[in-house]
Amino acid sequence: MLENAGTGIERYMNLLSASQKLVASNIANVDTPGYKAKDIDFQSELASQFDNLAPAAKEVTGLKTKNDGNNVDMDREARRLAENSLRFAVATNLARSELATLRSAIEEGKTS
Amino acid sequence: MSMSTPISPISPITIPELSPAGSSGVSGATPGAFQSVLEGLVGGVEKSQAQAQQTVNSFLTGGNEELHSVALAAQRSSLEFDLFLQVRNKVVSAYQEVMRMQV
Amino acid sequence: MSLFGSLSVSASGMSAQRTRAELLVENLANAETTRTPEGGPYRRKDVVFEEDPSVGSFSSELTSAMGSSASGVAASQTIVDNSEPYRRYMPGHPDADQEGYVAFPKINPAEDMVDLMGASRGYEANVAAISAVKDMIQKSLDLFR
Repeated sequence: MLENAGTGIERYMNLLSASQKLVASNIANVDTPGYKAKDIDFQSELASQFDNLAPAAKEVTGLKTKNDGNNVDMDREARRLAENSLRFAVATNLARSELATLRSAIEEGKTS
Repeated sequence: MSMSTPISPISPITIPELSPAGSSGVSGATPGAFQSVLEGLVGGVEKSQAQAQQTVNSFLTGGNEELHSVALAAQRSSLEFDLFLQVRNKVVSAYQEVMRMQV
Repeated sequence: MSLFGSLSVSASGMSAQRTRAELLVENLANAETTRTPEGGPYRRKDVVFEEDPSVGSFSSELTSAMGSSASGVAASQTIVDNSEPYRRYMPGHPDADQEGYVAFPKINPAEDMVDLMGASRGYEANVAAISAVKDMIQKSLDLFR
Protein backbone atom coordinates (compact mmCIF):
# COMPACT_ATOMS: atom_id res chain seq x y z
CA MET A 1 0.00 0.00 0.00
CA LEU A 2 2.82 2.34 0.74
CA GLU A 3 5.13 1.01 -1.96
CA ASN A 4 4.67 4.19 -3.94
CA ALA A 5 5.56 6.58 -1.15
CA GLY A 6 8.06 9.09 -2.50
CA THR A 7 8.31 7.40 -5.90
CA GLY A 8 8.15 10.63 -7.90
CA ILE A 9 10.90 12.18 -5.84
CA GLU A 10 12.99 9.02 -6.01
CA ARG A 11 12.77 9.11 -9.77
CA TYR A 12 13.95 12.72 -9.81
CA MET A 13 16.84 11.81 -7.53
CA ASN A 14 17.82 9.00 -9.89
CA LEU A 15 17.99 11.50 -12.73
CA LEU A 16 20.07 13.92 -10.68
CA SER A 17 22.49 11.13 -9.78
CA ALA A 18 22.79 10.02 -13.38
CA SER A 19 23.45 13.60 -14.48
CA GLN A 20 26.09 14.10 -11.79
CA LYS A 21 27.91 10.98 -12.94
CA LEU A 22 28.06 12.36 -16.46
CA VAL A 23 29.26 15.75 -15.21
CA ALA A 24 32.07 13.97 -13.31
CA SER A 25 32.88 12.06 -16.48
CA ASN A 26 32.95 15.28 -18.51
CA ILE A 27 35.28 16.91 -16.00
CA ALA A 28 37.60 13.90 -15.93
CA ASN A 29 37.74 14.00 -19.74
CA VAL A 30 38.16 17.76 -20.15
CA ASP A 31 41.47 17.20 -21.96
CA THR A 32 40.67 13.97 -23.79
CA PRO A 33 40.89 14.49 -27.54
CA GLY A 34 37.63 13.82 -29.36
CA TYR A 35 35.52 13.50 -26.20
CA LYS A 36 32.01 14.99 -26.39
CA ALA A 37 30.25 16.25 -23.24
CA LYS A 38 27.16 14.31 -22.19
CA ASP A 39 24.22 14.97 -19.87
CA ILE A 40 20.69 13.78 -19.05
CA ASP A 41 17.72 15.37 -20.77
CA PHE A 42 15.48 15.92 -17.74
CA GLN A 43 12.45 17.05 -19.71
CA SER A 44 12.23 13.98 -21.88
CA GLU A 45 13.09 11.54 -19.10
CA LEU A 46 10.40 12.95 -16.80
CA ALA A 47 7.87 13.05 -19.64
CA SER A 48 8.38 9.37 -20.34
CA GLN A 49 5.87 6.99 -18.78
CA PHE A 50 8.37 4.53 -17.44
CA ASP A 51 10.85 5.02 -14.67
CA ASN A 52 13.91 4.13 -16.68
CA LEU A 53 16.60 2.58 -14.51
CA ALA A 54 19.27 3.83 -16.90
CA PRO A 55 18.36 7.29 -18.20
CA ALA A 56 19.82 7.96 -21.61
CA ALA A 57 22.97 10.02 -21.79
CA LYS A 58 22.75 12.53 -24.60
CA GLU A 59 25.43 14.69 -26.12
CA VAL A 60 25.18 18.30 -25.02
CA THR A 61 24.33 20.71 -27.83
CA GLY A 62 25.61 24.20 -28.37
CA LEU A 63 29.16 23.65 -27.18
CA LYS A 64 32.25 24.91 -28.92
CA THR A 65 34.66 22.26 -30.10
CA LYS A 66 38.33 22.81 -29.42
CA ASN A 67 41.17 21.94 -31.78
CA ASP A 68 41.56 18.44 -30.41
CA GLY A 69 37.89 17.60 -30.96
CA ASN A 70 36.99 17.96 -27.27
CA ASN A 71 33.95 20.12 -26.47
CA VAL A 72 33.84 20.11 -22.66
CA ASP A 73 33.11 23.57 -21.25
CA MET A 74 34.47 23.71 -17.71
CA ASP A 75 32.22 26.60 -16.70
CA ARG A 76 29.16 24.68 -17.75
CA GLU A 77 30.28 21.58 -15.88
CA ALA A 78 30.99 23.57 -12.73
CA ARG A 79 27.51 25.07 -12.91
CA ARG A 80 25.89 21.66 -13.47
CA LEU A 81 27.85 20.22 -10.55
CA ALA A 82 26.49 22.85 -8.17
CA GLU A 83 22.97 22.69 -9.60
CA ASN A 84 22.62 18.92 -9.30
CA SER A 85 23.96 19.04 -5.76
CA LEU A 86 21.49 21.70 -4.65
CA ARG A 87 18.50 20.11 -6.34
CA PHE A 88 19.39 16.80 -4.74
CA ALA A 89 19.37 18.48 -1.33
CA VAL A 90 15.92 19.90 -2.07
CA ALA A 91 14.65 16.48 -3.17
CA THR A 92 15.98 14.86 -0.03
CA ASN A 93 14.12 17.34 2.13
CA LEU A 94 10.91 16.87 0.16
CA ALA A 95 11.15 13.10 0.52
CA ARG A 96 11.75 13.38 4.24
CA SER A 97 8.77 15.64 4.67
CA GLU A 98 6.53 13.30 2.66
CA LEU A 99 7.62 10.36 4.76
CA ALA A 100 7.09 12.35 7.95
CA THR A 101 3.57 13.24 6.85
CA LEU A 102 2.77 9.61 6.19
CA ARG A 103 4.21 8.59 9.49
CA SER A 104 2.17 11.11 11.44
CA ALA A 105 -0.95 10.08 9.52
CA ILE A 106 -0.35 6.48 10.51
CA GLU A 107 0.33 7.30 14.13
CA GLU A 108 -2.61 9.63 14.35
CA GLY A 109 -4.88 6.72 15.09
CA LYS A 110 -2.85 5.37 17.98
CA THR A 111 -5.13 4.13 20.74
CA SER A 112 -2.48 2.90 23.17
CA MET B 1 8.67 20.91 -12.83
CA SER B 2 6.04 20.59 -10.15
CA MET B 3 7.60 19.23 -7.03
CA SER B 4 4.37 18.54 -5.19
CA THR B 5 4.00 14.84 -5.73
CA PRO B 6 0.55 13.92 -4.55
CA ILE B 7 0.66 11.32 -1.83
CA SER B 8 -1.19 8.29 -3.10
CA PRO B 9 -4.28 7.96 -0.94
CA ILE B 10 -4.25 5.14 1.58
CA SER B 11 -7.18 2.96 0.60
CA PRO B 12 -9.61 2.81 3.49
CA ILE B 13 -9.92 -0.48 5.30
CA THR B 14 -13.42 -1.69 4.84
CA ILE B 15 -14.70 -3.82 7.68
CA PRO B 16 -16.40 -6.78 6.07
CA GLU B 17 -20.15 -7.16 6.43
CA LEU B 18 -21.09 -8.81 9.67
CA SER B 19 -24.00 -11.17 9.65
CA PRO B 20 -26.79 -10.00 12.01
CA ALA B 21 -25.79 -10.41 15.64
CA GLY B 22 -26.99 -13.68 17.02
CA SER B 23 -27.34 -15.78 13.91
CA SER B 24 -23.64 -16.48 13.36
CA GLY B 25 -22.69 -16.78 17.00
CA VAL B 26 -19.16 -16.51 18.27
CA SER B 27 -17.24 -18.51 15.67
CA GLY B 28 -17.90 -19.24 12.03
CA ALA B 29 -17.76 -16.73 9.16
CA THR B 30 -16.93 -13.51 11.07
CA PRO B 31 -13.48 -14.34 12.46
CA GLY B 32 -12.54 -15.59 8.98
CA ALA B 33 -13.33 -12.20 7.46
CA PHE B 34 -11.25 -10.32 10.03
CA GLN B 35 -8.51 -12.84 9.56
CA SER B 36 -8.33 -12.33 5.83
CA VAL B 37 -8.02 -8.56 6.28
CA LEU B 38 -5.06 -9.10 8.57
CA GLU B 39 -3.56 -11.69 6.27
CA GLY B 40 -3.74 -9.22 3.40
CA LEU B 41 -1.88 -6.64 5.45
CA VAL B 42 0.74 -9.14 6.55
CA GLY B 43 1.31 -10.02 2.92
CA GLY B 44 1.91 -6.35 2.11
CA VAL B 45 4.36 -5.96 4.96
CA GLU B 46 6.26 -9.10 3.99
CA LYS B 47 6.49 -7.93 0.41
CA SER B 48 7.84 -4.51 1.30
CA GLN B 49 10.33 -5.97 3.75
CA ALA B 50 11.55 -8.48 1.18
CA GLN B 51 11.88 -5.65 -1.31
CA ALA B 52 13.85 -3.54 1.14
CA GLN B 53 16.09 -6.46 2.01
CA GLN B 54 16.77 -7.15 -1.62
CA THR B 55 17.67 -3.50 -2.25
CA VAL B 56 20.04 -3.49 0.70
CA ASN B 57 21.71 -6.71 -0.43
CA SER B 58 22.14 -5.40 -3.93
CA PHE B 59 23.72 -2.25 -2.55
CA LEU B 60 26.04 -4.11 -0.19
CA THR B 61 27.32 -6.54 -2.81
CA GLY B 62 28.42 -3.65 -4.97
CA GLY B 63 25.48 -3.53 -7.32
CA ASN B 64 24.24 -0.44 -9.07
CA GLU B 65 21.85 0.50 -6.28
CA GLU B 66 21.77 4.15 -5.31
CA LEU B 67 21.97 4.94 -1.62
CA HIS B 68 18.83 7.07 -1.71
CA SER B 69 16.88 4.12 -3.15
CA VAL B 70 18.05 1.93 -0.29
CA ALA B 71 17.01 4.58 2.23
CA LEU B 72 13.57 5.06 0.67
CA ALA B 73 12.96 1.30 0.46
CA ALA B 74 13.88 0.96 4.14
CA GLN B 75 11.57 3.81 5.10
CA ARG B 76 8.67 2.42 3.08
CA SER B 77 9.06 -0.94 4.70
CA SER B 78 9.14 0.67 8.14
CA LEU B 79 6.04 2.76 7.42
CA GLU B 80 4.24 -0.25 6.00
CA PHE B 81 4.97 -2.13 9.19
CA ASP B 82 3.82 0.74 11.41
CA LEU B 83 0.63 0.97 9.40
CA PHE B 84 0.09 -2.74 9.78
CA LEU B 85 0.57 -2.48 13.52
CA GLN B 86 -1.95 0.33 13.90
CA VAL B 87 -4.49 -1.37 11.68
CA ARG B 88 -4.05 -4.65 13.48
CA ASN B 89 -4.69 -2.95 16.80
CA LYS B 90 -7.82 -1.32 15.41
CA VAL B 91 -9.09 -4.54 13.86
CA VAL B 92 -8.48 -6.49 17.05
CA SER B 93 -10.25 -3.92 19.21
CA ALA B 94 -13.14 -3.75 16.73
CA TYR B 95 -13.38 -7.52 16.86
CA GLN B 96 -13.38 -7.51 20.63
CA GLU B 97 -16.07 -4.86 20.67
CA VAL B 98 -18.21 -6.89 18.33
CA MET B 99 -17.74 -9.91 20.54
CA ARG B 100 -18.81 -7.90 23.56
CA MET B 101 -22.10 -7.03 21.95
CA GLN B 102 -25.10 -8.39 23.67
CA VAL B 103 -26.90 -10.84 21.47
CA MET C 1 27.43 2.76 -12.02
CA SER C 2 26.07 4.32 -8.90
CA LEU C 3 27.14 7.65 -7.45
CA PHE C 4 30.00 5.84 -5.74
CA GLY C 5 31.30 4.87 -9.14
CA SER C 6 31.59 8.49 -10.14
CA LEU C 7 34.09 8.94 -7.31
CA SER C 8 36.35 6.54 -9.22
CA VAL C 9 35.79 8.52 -12.39
CA SER C 10 36.94 11.73 -10.72
CA ALA C 11 39.86 9.91 -9.14
CA SER C 12 40.95 8.75 -12.58
CA GLY C 13 40.77 12.35 -13.74
CA MET C 14 43.00 13.48 -10.89
CA SER C 15 45.46 10.71 -11.64
CA ALA C 16 45.61 11.52 -15.34
CA GLN C 17 46.11 15.25 -14.78
CA ARG C 18 48.80 14.51 -12.25
CA THR C 19 50.67 12.30 -14.71
CA ARG C 20 50.41 15.09 -17.24
CA ALA C 21 51.70 17.63 -14.73
CA GLU C 22 54.62 15.38 -13.81
CA LEU C 23 55.69 15.08 -17.43
CA LEU C 24 55.38 18.83 -17.96
CA VAL C 25 57.48 19.50 -14.88
CA GLU C 26 60.07 17.06 -16.18
CA ASN C 27 60.10 18.90 -19.50
CA LEU C 28 60.56 22.24 -17.80
CA ALA C 29 63.32 20.98 -15.54
CA ASN C 30 65.17 19.54 -18.55
CA ALA C 31 64.65 22.41 -20.95
CA GLU C 32 68.38 22.89 -21.28
CA THR C 33 69.58 19.31 -20.79
CA THR C 34 72.02 18.46 -23.56
CA ARG C 35 73.26 15.16 -22.22
CA THR C 36 71.16 12.10 -21.34
CA PRO C 37 72.00 8.44 -20.57
CA GLU C 38 70.41 7.44 -23.88
CA GLY C 39 72.65 9.87 -25.68
CA GLY C 40 71.71 13.19 -27.17
CA PRO C 41 69.63 15.94 -25.64
CA TYR C 42 66.51 15.50 -23.51
CA ARG C 43 63.45 14.65 -25.59
CA ARG C 44 60.15 16.32 -24.79
CA LYS C 45 57.53 14.00 -23.36
CA ASP C 46 53.79 14.33 -23.78
CA VAL C 47 50.84 12.36 -22.52
CA VAL C 48 47.80 11.08 -24.41
CA PHE C 49 44.46 11.04 -22.64
CA GLU C 50 41.96 8.40 -23.52
CA GLU C 51 38.39 7.79 -22.42
CA ASP C 52 38.27 4.74 -20.15
CA PRO C 53 34.79 3.17 -19.85
CA SER C 54 35.87 0.53 -17.38
CA VAL C 55 36.46 3.02 -14.58
CA GLY C 56 33.88 3.09 -11.82
CA SER C 57 31.71 0.17 -12.82
CA PHE C 58 31.61 -2.71 -10.41
CA SER C 59 30.46 -5.28 -12.87
CA SER C 60 30.95 -4.92 -16.57
CA GLU C 61 27.88 -6.93 -17.56
CA LEU C 62 25.64 -4.61 -15.60
CA THR C 63 27.26 -1.58 -17.19
CA SER C 64 26.78 -2.71 -20.75
CA ALA C 65 23.25 -3.89 -20.03
CA MET C 66 22.26 -0.58 -18.54
CA GLY C 67 24.06 1.43 -21.19
CA SER C 68 25.98 3.54 -18.73
CA SER C 69 28.06 6.01 -20.65
CA ALA C 70 29.90 7.76 -17.88
CA SER C 71 33.55 6.95 -18.24
CA GLY C 72 36.80 7.82 -16.60
CA VAL C 73 40.03 8.85 -18.25
CA ALA C 74 43.39 7.20 -18.56
CA ALA C 75 46.76 8.68 -19.42
CA SER C 76 47.25 5.81 -21.77
CA GLN C 77 50.47 6.65 -23.54
CA THR C 78 53.54 8.74 -23.09
CA ILE C 79 54.77 10.11 -26.38
CA VAL C 80 58.39 11.04 -26.74
CA ASP C 81 59.20 13.71 -29.25
CA ASN C 82 61.85 12.11 -31.45
CA SER C 83 62.05 14.81 -34.05
CA GLU C 84 65.23 16.66 -34.80
CA PRO C 85 66.43 18.67 -31.81
CA TYR C 86 67.42 22.34 -32.00
CA ARG C 87 71.00 22.87 -32.91
CA ARG C 88 72.83 25.91 -31.71
CA TYR C 89 76.27 26.93 -32.70
CA MET C 90 78.37 26.79 -29.52
CA PRO C 91 81.86 25.53 -30.38
CA GLY C 92 83.23 25.72 -26.84
CA HIS C 93 80.44 23.59 -25.32
CA PRO C 94 81.49 20.15 -23.97
CA ASP C 95 78.64 18.49 -25.91
CA ALA C 96 79.42 20.23 -29.20
CA ASP C 97 79.79 17.95 -32.20
CA GLN C 98 82.56 18.24 -34.83
CA GLU C 99 80.94 21.25 -36.51
CA GLY C 100 80.51 23.03 -33.18
CA TYR C 101 76.78 22.60 -32.90
CA VAL C 102 75.07 21.55 -29.69
CA ALA C 103 71.72 19.78 -29.76
CA PHE C 104 69.20 21.31 -27.35
CA PRO C 105 65.81 19.95 -26.32
CA LYS C 106 62.87 21.15 -28.35
CA ILE C 107 60.99 22.59 -25.44
CA ASN C 108 59.08 25.87 -25.29
CA PRO C 109 58.92 26.64 -21.56
CA ALA C 110 56.12 29.19 -21.91
CA GLU C 111 53.92 26.64 -23.65
CA ASP C 112 54.59 23.98 -21.05
CA MET C 113 53.92 26.43 -18.23
CA VAL C 114 50.50 27.20 -19.67
CA ASP C 115 49.85 23.47 -20.06
CA LEU C 116 50.85 23.00 -16.46
CA MET C 117 48.27 25.56 -15.39
CA GLY C 118 45.72 23.67 -17.44
CA ALA C 119 46.63 20.41 -15.72
CA SER C 120 46.34 22.11 -12.35
CA ARG C 121 42.91 23.51 -13.18
CA GLY C 122 41.80 20.11 -14.43
CA TYR C 123 43.03 18.49 -11.24
CA GLU C 124 41.15 20.97 -9.06
CA ALA C 125 37.97 20.53 -11.06
CA ASN C 126 38.08 16.78 -10.39
CA VAL C 127 38.56 17.49 -6.69
CA ALA C 128 35.48 19.74 -6.77
CA ALA C 129 33.50 16.96 -8.47
CA ILE C 130 34.44 14.49 -5.75
CA SER C 131 33.37 16.99 -3.13
CA ALA C 132 29.99 17.60 -4.75
CA VAL C 133 29.27 13.89 -5.17
CA LYS C 134 30.31 13.19 -1.60
CA ASP C 135 27.86 15.89 -0.56
CA MET C 136 25.02 14.21 -2.43
CA ILE C 137 25.78 10.82 -0.90
CA GLN C 138 25.75 12.33 2.57
CA LYS C 139 22.42 14.00 1.85
CA SER C 140 21.03 10.56 0.98
CA LEU C 141 22.02 9.42 4.44
CA ASP C 142 19.57 11.96 5.84
CA LEU C 143 16.79 9.89 4.33
CA PHE C 144 17.48 7.19 6.87
CA ARG C 145 16.35 9.40 9.72
